[in-house]
Amino acid sequence: MIDETRLEILTSSAKYDVSCSSSGSRRKNTESGIGNAYASGICHSFTPDGRCISLLKILMSNECIYDCEYCPNRNSADVPRAKITPDEICELVINFYKRNYIEGLFLSSAVFETPNRTMELLAETVRKLRKEYNFNGYIHLKGIPYADKTIVEKAARLVDRMSYNVELPSEKSLKLLAPQKTKDSLLMPMKELKNAIESDKLNKVRNRALPAGQTTQMIIGASPESDGQILKLTEALYRKMNLKRVYYSSYLPVVKSSKLPDTGAGLLREHRLYQADWLIRFYGFDVNEICNEDENLSVEYDPKCAWALKNMHLFPVEINTAPLETLLRVPGIGAKSAYKITEARRYANLDFDNLAKMRVVLKRAKHFITCKGKFYGSGSITAISNSLLISDGGEVNEQLTMFSENSTALSALTGQI
Amino acid sequence: MIIYFVSDSDINAFYTAIFDCLKSGGIITSRQDFQLTLGDTVINVENDCTKCEEVKTALLLYDRYASDDIAFALRSGDNNKEQTVFGYVKILLKTKAPVIKRMNLDEILKFNALTYKITGELHRLKGLLRFIECENGVLYAPYSPDNNITDLLAEHFKHRLSCEKFVIHDIKRKLATIYDGNSLLTGKVGNAEIYVSEREKEFENLWKKYYKSVNIESRPHTKQMKGSMPVRYWKFLPEKQD
Repeated sequence: MIDETRLEILTSSAKYDVSCSSSGSRRKNTESGIGNAYASGICHSFTPDGRCISLLKILMSNECIYDCEYCPNRNSADVPRAKITPDEICELVINFYKRNYIEGLFLSSAVFETPNRTMELLAETVRKLRKEYNFNGYIHLKGIPYADKTIVEKAARLVDRMSYNVELPSEKSLKLLAPQKTKDSLLMPMKELKNAIESDKLNKVRNRALPAGQTTQMIIGASPESDGQILKLTEALYRKMNLKRVYYSSYLPVVKSSKLPDTGAGLLREHRLYQADWLIRFYGFDVNEICNEDENLSVEYDPKCAWALKNMHLFPVEINTAPLETLLRVPGIGAKSAYKITEARRYANLDFDNLAKMRVVLKRAKHFITCKGKFYGSGSITAISNSLLISDGGEVNEQLTMFSENSTALSALTGQI
Repeated sequence: MIIYFVSDSDINAFYTAIFDCLKSGGIITSRQDFQLTLGDTVINVENDCTKCEEVKTALLLYDRYASDDIAFALRSGDNNKEQTVFGYVKILLKTKAPVIKRMNLDEILKFNALTYKITGELHRLKGLLRFIECENGVLYAPYSPDNNITDLLAEHFKHRLSCEKFVIHDIKRKLATIYDGNSLLTGKVGNAEIYVSEREKEFENLWKKYYKSVNIESRPHTKQMKGSMPVRYWKFLPEKQD
């Protein structure tokens, strides 16, 4: 069985992988098996940094042959090294799962010996877990660049989700900071997996590859790309690679390197990028509407607000008649509120009070809507901009203090394997 | 004022109380500590099949999901749940059509808030429930939920841990659901005495270590943590015992 020291080393190295979601798969339990996957995902605990624990996030090994500039486990770093065997992982997963500590496994690894050897051992671990330990819970497996397609696809038919991290938002930065990885070594396997998913779906294969799809992650602020470029890449990944999620991790300086900036990117930038990401995925926005290629997102306003302020000629909209697509574009009204409004207004015309009682957030929305023809917001664009600035102000302050605390904390590492 | 007192566990008595209440007005409650004032009459409602069926039939006629929705809402730990459900029933009987989405009405919003809380807690506890492995291999999970959801929770774990045996024990309501590897059984229980398995402490310590290691210390956000994992649930979480 694994000891506490190794567990600590191998989870501390894995924790910067942002993704911990366990959603998107409906895997069923087998007759003599243990576990199933729950479509909406389940959070099992929350750590003091506010993140949820859903999966056992662990590295197979943190001994890496690569020397990526930003990574705490890079070859030249002087950190304690450890590894864990497939059986040790399986035992831990089954016992944590039985006690309902976790929803499944997130397995990743540094690249030891060769990419093929690493991928083989990862694939062997998930095979063991599924076939010998009869585990049917959620498994997220990290893809290793340069590993053989056949090994990857075999593993893909056993797990729920896989991810290849694009690491950095442009080829140029990748060359500079992770010289041993190339754009093709990350995007090719992504494409091959996408094809495998599609052909399995088409041929109605029984144990089809990756029922919960693929995700990726990139570091923000370690390289000079603008938000516009990052979002353009994000949109391309969603549309061309069919990714389920693109995760961002804001850069924090750990290593003194002439190739890396001295200051971190801050959580606010990460936050704004996620807000824009949501607008692309769930609110019918195009990147071009939110942000030009060489621009950054507004710091003062969230992306939807910023867009609305630039397009005041489209507002206010009447809450009782506006179509769903239009409601979704009102700042402050999210997918849930928009749905509630469209349902409720079938029975009666809604007024401002009704919305408040339905818990639609009106702080921002009131400037962009009318209820039964009545307008409750401020009169001029300047007044609206100012009042929105104030209502959003608390958030900006909070984020900045968190950021300043962070940049001084050297123990904060960023990046991931 | 007439106070109709119903038993917490008897849904038919509740429907009977609704029948009486619609005729003569009053308040329905299952609270033992209800504050009485001078002139109040308390009626202990017994299940009356004809009255109960009449109400049920009417509800079924107007919304075939109504009785399921009502049974679910009555699982609430809210003190005024009977009155809230009664409010919903009155609207349904008046409208004579499904009303659950008429969110312009206060009664409907209140009723939805009640079920929303139960659904929310049920989902939350699917993650936050913790099993302890006993000497004989049985998994035991004590907890203390706001709402009466033990049997629903067990249904979830039955699929997941189909080859295990487990007990989910609601300490507050002295209620437990037992799964023997085949079927579920819910009933009243007193205190449970358990003998923990040898390896239990080891895995618990590994879990605590994991919880500590996966946290990014330089980014504290306890408000977020407590929002998603309210402190009242911590009592049964090993990672929160120190």
